[in-house]
Amino acid sequence: MTLILDAAPPIANRRPNPGPGAKIVKIVTTTDHKTIGLMYLVTAFVFFLFSGGLAEIMRAELARPALQFVSQEQYNQLFTMHGTIMMFLVAPPLAFGFANFIMPLQIGAPDMSFPRLNAFGYWLYLFGGLTVVAGFLTPDGAAAFGWFAYAPLNDVIHSPNLGSDLWIVGLITAGLGTILGAVNFITTILTLRAPGMTMFRMPIFTWNMLVTSILVLMAFPVLTAALFALEADRHLGAHVFDVQNGGAILWQHLFWFFGHPEVYIIALPFFGVVSEVIPVFSRKPMFGYKGLVFATIAIGALSMTVWAHHMFATGAVLLPFFSFMSFLIAVPTGVKFFNWIGTMWRGQLTFETPMLFCVGFLFTFLLGGITGVLLASPPIDFHVTDTYFVVAHFHYVVFGTAIFGAFAGAYFWFPKMTGRMLNDRLGKVHFWSLFVGFHLTFGVQHWLGGEGMPRRVADYYASDGFTTLNTISSIGAFALGLSTLPFIYNVIVSYRRGEKAVGDDPWGFGNSLEWATSCPPPRHNFVTMPRIRSERPAFDLHYPAAAGRIDMHATPELR
Amino acid sequence: MKVEGLVFALLAIFLTVTSGLYWVLSRDVTGFTCLLLTGGLTFIIGYYLLFTARRLEARPEDRPDAEISEGSGEMGFFSPHSWWPMAAAGSFALTMMGIAFGPFLVLIGFVCVLVTASGFLFEYYVGVNKTQGQTLSALEAQGLRPTGMQKFLGEKPHQG
Repeated sequence: MTLILDAAPPIANRRPNPGPGAKIVKIVTTTDHKTIGLMYLVTAFVFFLFSGGLAEIMRAELARPALQFVSQEQYNQLFTMHGTIMMFLVAPPLAFGFANFIMPLQIGAPDMSFPRLNAFGYWLYLFGGLTVVAGFLTPDGAAAFGWFAYAPLNDVIHSPNLGSDLWIVGLITAGLGTILGAVNFITTILTLRAPGMTMFRMPIFTWNMLVTSILVLMAFPVLTAALFALEADRHLGAHVFDVQNGGAILWQHLFWFFGHPEVYIIALPFFGVVSEVIPVFSRKPMFGYKGLVFATIAIGALSMTVWAHHMFATGAVLLPFFSFMSFLIAVPTGVKFFNWIGTMWRGQLTFETPMLFCVGFLFTFLLGGITGVLLASPPIDFHVTDTYFVVAHFHYVVFGTAIFGAFAGAYFWFPKMTGRMLNDRLGKVHFWSLFVGFHLTFGVQHWLGGEGMPRRVADYYASDGFTTLNTISSIGAFALGLSTLPFIYNVIVSYRRGEKAVGDDPWGFGNSLEWATSCPPPRHNFVTMPRIRSERPAFDLHYPAAAGRIDMHATPELR
Repeated sequence: MKVEGLVFALLAIFLTVTSGLYWVLSRDVTGFTCLLLTGGLTFIIGYYLLFTARRLEARPEDRPDAEISEGSGEMGFFSPHSWWPMAAAGSFALTMMGIAFGPFLVLIGFVCVLVTASGFLFEYYVGVNKTQGQTLSALEAQGLRPTGMQKFLGEKPHQG
């Protein structure tokens, strides 16, 4: 008896205030989905700043003709690493961060299904990401074969540097983390929902994370396999991607079989984020909930069958099939736009910062989607492929979804994560400088591409006539870079001294379950849980008089 | 569980049909194989979910009229904190870096992976933190069966 008492001192005797070492140990050993979610978000944001810095160097170089700051070779490294970091180490981890924090709350789960696997996925992402970036510290520099690493440029003769190997193995490591994270999300959504939380009552963000996770399971293993085969080519003398075996096209098929679903892996979670934000600031339930869910599943299915529209110019793919499928995928995406606009239609709209970012998302992504439909048409694609038109298109798509969506989510859920609000005035300064900076940077690039400026060049002649638009684009890029400063300041100040979030639902009209628990939530998320009778249980809890009345169309079984 | 299964089944049907169509139209081996295997992946998951859904009565989360109290009881074991995820991820990253730097590092990394993977797997099966790992026969000797298995076999959950 005495032995046991000696071994475990009463809780009151333990140190009340852990020192910095204990705090670090707590973070390093954490299995709490909320802490891991925040770690994902912070790490992804640091990678975002780094990769944005690389982009600023490129824009500085391109502002005027001739080479001023970097060599051709360094420029190759810059655009390769910029693309790689943004596509692998920024956008999906941002989505995973939000999903980790919010998704279990939305379905009423105490944690993720596999808490340690969750942490394992994060650490794989961090170490893999650092491995990729470590290429800059090697004597020959980082990988320089573009983010899609076409064969034969990726073989050991054309890219003998260590940075290329680090790029490959780093992406394998980070990719494994992504796959395991997706397994965890699917299992959690399938098995840890609260009673009454049927599939067709799940918040749209949770639905989108389910489809995203399925896409990850379908796409990432293909990339991992291709990367392992590439390493076998480089070091074991295999001949998988040899030109004489048709290796160049084989690599493109395998890469884009991963690469196109990857675009939707980036986009779908942020479609989910705006689908959470818009109803709250429109004071209306989501318009056409089931249609939105089916549109998401349709996008998930179709996105597996459009990969070779990235390969039109090779002349080695089935143009009608991929062109048709690419046109087709615009249909469910258009359905989503109707859902979002239908939700705002005749709503009681207010434009707090999260809502502003959602409107910015709608505007930007619509333009990116329209140029996407243009590019799905081979006759147009042949003319503008590998020009700045394509650069403008995919920045409108991925920046429009991932970055506008992530900032909307950050302003929306910051009170849930920290218990304090972000400053709305600074948020508006952030939004407008970001919005103007972004469209100044990439809007003019449509015209640059139309005039024929190729992508991935460090230099152009003054006689090419690209100078004015490039200068405008670079000025926009610097404005875009500066727009991040108010956000960083806002986060740091608001985290310490921001206005306290009032109650469980500081926005006043929250729908999903995360607004039915405290800000921030306790360790296992809920002290009490409301009855779940519609797709917006928190709203029903806070407005019992309206509960069920507005939701009739969404939940017919309650009629 | 039926809806979950149908989501995967829908994907499986779409991908398999499309892979056939794509093969007929293009004769492209790579894309056809990828599509077909992806269809197989979703088929396995979808079939398992629908198979299980038929054998289970609707769970509280599948019923629109369920009360929160129906989900009460032990949900499972959630690890409070652990050193092993970071250690295992570090070992894996080390092994992968070995591919870039040289075989010696692969060897070192591989040993680390073995150690950390064992630690990860057996953390709650041995030592002071043992909470898992009662064998099925030991449980049944006490007249107990895991809740999930009881549900699967259609038995009434034990009280207490």
